[in-house]
Amino acid sequence: MSEGMYAGQAAIEAYGLGMRYRRGWALRDCSFRLPAGRICGLMGPNGAGKTTLLSIAAHVLRPTNGSISLFGEAAGSVESGRRTAFLAQEKPLFRRFTVAETLRLGRELNPGWDQRAAEGIIRAGNVPFDAKISTLSGGQRTRVAIALAFGKSPDLLLLDEPMSDLDPVVRHEVMGTLLAEAAERGTTVLMSTHVLAELENVCDYLVVVSGGGVRLAGDVDELMSVHTLVTGAKEGDGVPSALGRHTLVESRTSGRQFTALIRPEGPVTGPWDMGTPTMEELLLAYLRSPDAPPLITPTAQVHGQGLGTGAVAA
Amino acid sequence: MSTFTRDSTSTSTGSTSDGTNGPTDGTSDATTTEANRRPRLSGMTWLVWRQHRAAFWTTLVATALLVGWIVYQRGQLVDFLDGYGYPGENLHEAGGRFQQYNDAFSFVSTGLQALPILLGVSLGAPLIAGDLENGTAKLVAAQSMSRTRWLATKLALVGLVVVVSTGVLSAVFGWWWNPVKSEATVMEWTSGAAFNTTGPVPVALTLFSVFGGVAIGMVLRRTLMAMVVTFGFTVVLQLVWSDFLLSLGNVVTVTTNKGVTGENTFPSLPHSAHEIDQSYVTGSGDLLGWSTCRHAETDAAQQACLDKADVVGWSVQYLPMSQMNAMQWFGASILFALTAGVVAFIFFWGRKRLF
Repeated sequence: MSEGMYAGQAAIEAYGLGMRYRRGWALRDCSFRLPAGRICGLMGPNGAGKTTLLSIAAHVLRPTNGSISLFGEAAGSVESGRRTAFLAQEKPLFRRFTVAETLRLGRELNPGWDQRAAEGIIRAGNVPFDAKISTLSGGQRTRVAIALAFGKSPDLLLLDEPMSDLDPVVRHEVMGTLLAEAAERGTTVLMSTHVLAELENVCDYLVVVSGGGVRLAGDVDELMSVHTLVTGAKEGDGVPSALGRHTLVESRTSGRQFTALIRPEGPVTGPWDMGTPTMEELLLAYLRSPDAPPLITPTAQVHGQGLGTGAVAA
Repeated sequence: MSTFTRDSTSTSTGSTSDGTNGPTDGTSDATTTEANRRPRLSGMTWLVWRQHRAAFWTTLVATALLVGWIVYQRGQLVDFLDGYGYPGENLHEAGGRFQQYNDAFSFVSTGLQALPILLGVSLGAPLIAGDLENGTAKLVAAQSMSRTRWLATKLALVGLVVVVSTGVLSAVFGWWWNPVKSEATVMEWTSGAAFNTTGPVPVALTLFSVFGGVAIGMVLRRTLMAMVVTFGFTVVLQLVWSDFLLSLGNVVTVTTNKGVTGENTFPSLPHSAHEIDQSYVTGSGDLLGWSTCRHAETDAAQQACLDKADVVGWSVQYLPMSQMNAMQWFGASILFALTAGVVAFIFFWGRKRLF
């Protein structure tokens, strides 16, 4: 909340992004900011527009409305293309290439290619360099795809459900590699996932999209600290009216008890148990109640009207 | 794996070998001498060649084999002609002895005429449709090079393979045909067998078919469907082209005024000229069908009928063989212009609608 939180460059600034397919809008008026150097989880139900958002950032799709800038440059510019690596959900690779040839692809097409980093990731998984991609297991392919993404030495890594087809052991191991590399280089990571556990241990930033728009965005610790989980005895129907002056995200009743997730607008007083929600409780509350007011913390807010505004002070 | 142990101790940046693929696939380090011996592809060119190398090599090797066959056949043909005494002796009298040489022409020219269809379906249609279908287009788009560069490299390489293959075949086939070029019994120059297989025509037809296939694949995004539709497109192109072929020339009309019934009244056309139409011409310059007065029962009645119609001679329209080259270049330039339009469409679509 302090002025200091605006310090530092933004890795991503999205301004009113909208994407319409023939079926309808996949993404609508989506605005957020991701400060550089963060590991950010992108959460949301299926069809919420996560893949669309990542594809727009990677310049694989063009938005119908709005714009997105990466490190202050338009997506699709030569500069942002060099600084960004994208790992699509289906992890496409040339099936007839060997692992070594796949790395050569990275070397031939990227000026800042880091062969040692890429080879290191391959070798850590004991993937043979002369094996054809078509003969590899799902986990090995993911590893090759990640090596290709990291070999590009990106400043921003966009990962679309990178671990979805891996077993827990491999998932843990690949995630470890990924985080170690990102930490070492100060890479900003934006990663969509369904797995809460992945987020809790890994991410320090969170963007939740649902129904095409951003519901929640900001620093994980900050998001947790501004919410309170209130539990108490039910009085009449629903939530006690004394809670009405706070922002109510979601409430549930079971038996004679109620549970409410609120954003306190002042001191919360009452005969209730109060606690900090877990990330899971927070996420589920927002995903289950589409009418709850969205929360974009100041570090995640974009200012100005789009490209050209650059870094903005509060 | 030993290469990698070595690399991990070196301090060079980004210059390690490609693993077990051996030094030819290594880097352009001055120390890798073998790598310098043969020209190495790099960047996007390497990627596109590597991706399509099986199709490219198949095309080039098949071309080389066919060229070898044609060279052999020409040797056989020349030997026969020398032994026979051609052009002093008339080939018509050779009869069955010349048949095998005739068959060789029709066999090879059928193959050459199928080339635009074959290459359009096998090289053109899958070129980009395959990448869109497998998602590898996204993989390439996620690297540091622009989409336009990717498309340009793909088109340039496939275009090069097509031009080299069809250009060489066209030249060699024309060289084979040259000794018997004026013999309509071998191939008539206005037929597809000769016109579409020599000069610039096979290059232009194939290039248009292949790039048309690329554009079709780009729009349909499915390899198999693109191949089927490209097959249809190339077949229709062949039909339209063969219909359109004769209108590429300037028709020459020759008229006579010595009547139409006597000896030697029909005008003599240049050797190998392709006759398009013949009719009677009247004193006032009108044309009448050559069946006019054919129903007359006696010669005298026919003559009276012709006199009554005021027929004074023949009017014959034809295309001389001397126009063949100009017609081929004119047709090819139309096809090249269409191809340029297709290329423009591919780049436009690639920038606006590819993903």
